[in-house]
Amino acid sequence: MGDVAAKIRIMPESTDIDLAELKAALKNAIPDYARLHAMEERPIAFGLKAIVMAVILDKNVAGTEGIEGILASVKGVESVEVEEVGLL
Amino acid sequence: MAEAKPHLNLAVIGHVDHGKSTLVGRMMYETGAVDQHTIDEYRKEASSKGKSTFEFAWVMDSLKEERERGVTIDIAHQRFDTDKYYFTVVDCPGHRDFIKNMITGASQADAAILVVAAPDGVMAQTKEHVFLSRTLGVSQLIIAINKMDDTKPAYSEERYKEVKEEVSKLLKMVGFKVDEIPFIPVSAFEGDNLTKLSDKNTPWYKGATMIEALNNLKMPVKPTTLPLRVPVQDVYTISGVGTVPVGRVETGVMKKGDKIIFEPANAAGEVKSIEMHHEEVPEALPGDNIGWNVRGIGRNDIRRGDVCGHVDNPPTVAKEFTAQIVVLQHPSAISAGYTPVFHCHTSQIACTITEIKAKLDPRTGSVKEQNPAFIKAGDAAIITVRPSKPMVIEKVKEIPQLGRFAIRDMGQTIAAGMCQNVTPR
Repeated sequence: MGDVAAKIRIMPESTDIDLAELKAALKNAIPDYARLHAMEERPIAFGLKAIVMAVILDKNVAGTEGIEGILASVKGVESVEVEEVGLL
Repeated sequence: MAEAKPHLNLAVIGHVDHGKSTLVGRMMYETGAVDQHTIDEYRKEASSKGKSTFEFAWVMDSLKEERERGVTIDIAHQRFDTDKYYFTVVDCPGHRDFIKNMITGASQADAAILVVAAPDGVMAQTKEHVFLSRTLGVSQLIIAINKMDDTKPAYSEERYKEVKEEVSKLLKMVGFKVDEIPFIPVSAFEGDNLTKLSDKNTPWYKGATMIEALNNLKMPVKPTTLPLRVPVQDVYTISGVGTVPVGRVETGVMKKGDKIIFEPANAAGEVKSIEMHHEEVPEALPGDNIGWNVRGIGRNDIRRGDVCGHVDNPPTVAKEFTAQIVVLQHPSAISAGYTPVFHCHTSQIACTITEIKAKLDPRTGSVKEQNPAFIKAGDAAIITVRPSKPMVIEKVKEIPQLGRFAIRDMGQTIAAGMCQNVTPR
C-alpha cells in the first residue's frame, strides 16, 4: 500500500485572523508522519478565505482523524475538513 | 484536443491481489498514456529484479514517484483517455479508516470498475467494495472478471458464468440493476478483451470490450431537480454583511431571495446574497462551495451539521431511521443498545442501534437471520437507529447525497451505511 495524499480545507475562526500567521502555525503543527506538499489560500465568500493544504501521509497511517485533530487544535482554526484522499 | 473531452472520475475497486493495479497499468498502456518505450524500460529493469510477471503493476509503482513530484494542491491522479472521455483513476486507500473521507468528502467517483479474479470469485473485499460503491452513490459499474488466463482450464466460459452469477447476486442485493452492467472476461496480464475482443482465447464472449464499456458510460447529471440541501460547514458573522453560513450545495438550486429553513435548528430566513470564490452569484448549483448571507437568522441560531433547504420542502429531521449497513471492522460484536457516532454530511451525532432487524447473506441477498442477537465484521444488516439528538438524514432513494453515513467508534470506521426509511420528528 502506498502513501496517501490528502487535501484538507481549514477555515479560520473569523475574517480577522491573519492568514499568513495561521499558515505558519499550521505548517509547524504537521506531525512527523505527514509532510506538507502544497498550501494555498482559497477565497470563499464575503472576504472569508480558507486555507487548503495538500499533505502526504505515511503509508502506515490509518485514516486522517489524527492529523485533523492536530490541525483543529491550532489557534485561530474554526474547522478542518478533508476534501479528498487518494493513493499516490 | 484531449482537454476538450468530457472527464469522468473512475474508481478501480476489488479484492486485494485480484489485479487492480495490473488492469490500470494495462489500460494506461493500451490507451497510450504510457508509451511502449517506457514499458520496455521497466520490463527490462523489472526482470533484472525478478519481477517480470507483474510488470504492469510495477510500472504503476514506478510512476508513483513521478506523480508524487507532480502533486500540487490538486492531487495528481493517474489519467488515461479513450476516444470519448478522459478518465482520472481514483485509487482509494485500502485502509478502512479512509472510508469516512469518501463518504463525507467532496470527491466522488462517477463510475467504477470492479475487478474480480475468476479463479477466486467473490471475496471479502469484493463484497465490501460493492456495498461501499452503492453507499457512496457510484451508480455506474463495469465488472472485469480478471485472470481468465488462470482459470482451470484457461479461459473457461463455465467459470466466467459462475463468477458472473455470483457477482450478480451480490449486486442485486445492494440494488444495482444487473441487466445494465457489463461483465467482461479479461486478462489484464495478457490483454484479452480490453481494446479488442479476444477471438482466440474467448471466442464465446461477444459483448463489449473494456474500452467500449468505458465509452458507454454516461456523464453524471447534476442533481439540480432534487430538493435543495446544503449541509452547514461553519457559520460566520461578517461585519457589514451579517450572518454567513458556509457549505457545499449537495442537491437542488439556491437562488437569491429564496425562503429557506435550517434543520434541525428550525430557523427560517431569506437568502440575501450568495458568493462563490468571493464573487456574487445569482444561484448556486450542486458541487458549489458557497457562503450565503441570510436575513432573519443570527449566528447562534444555526451550527455545523444543520442542513439548509427551502421552506416548502424542508430537510427531514429523524426521530428514528432504518438503514442497511455493512460492518467493516469491529473488535467484538455489535448488538442492540450499541451507541457509536454517526458521521452523516457535516453532522457527527451519537446514535443508538435500537434493533438489528435482519442479517443479510451477501451471496444471495436474502435474509440470513431475522432479529439476530449480534452482527460482526463482514456482516451486512438492516438496523433501526435512534439519534441521541435531532439529526437530518434523508432516504437514500430520494436524496442519496444526504442518505449515506459512516459509523465510527474507538477511533475506527466501524461500518458504512445508507438510510432506507425515516420516521420524522
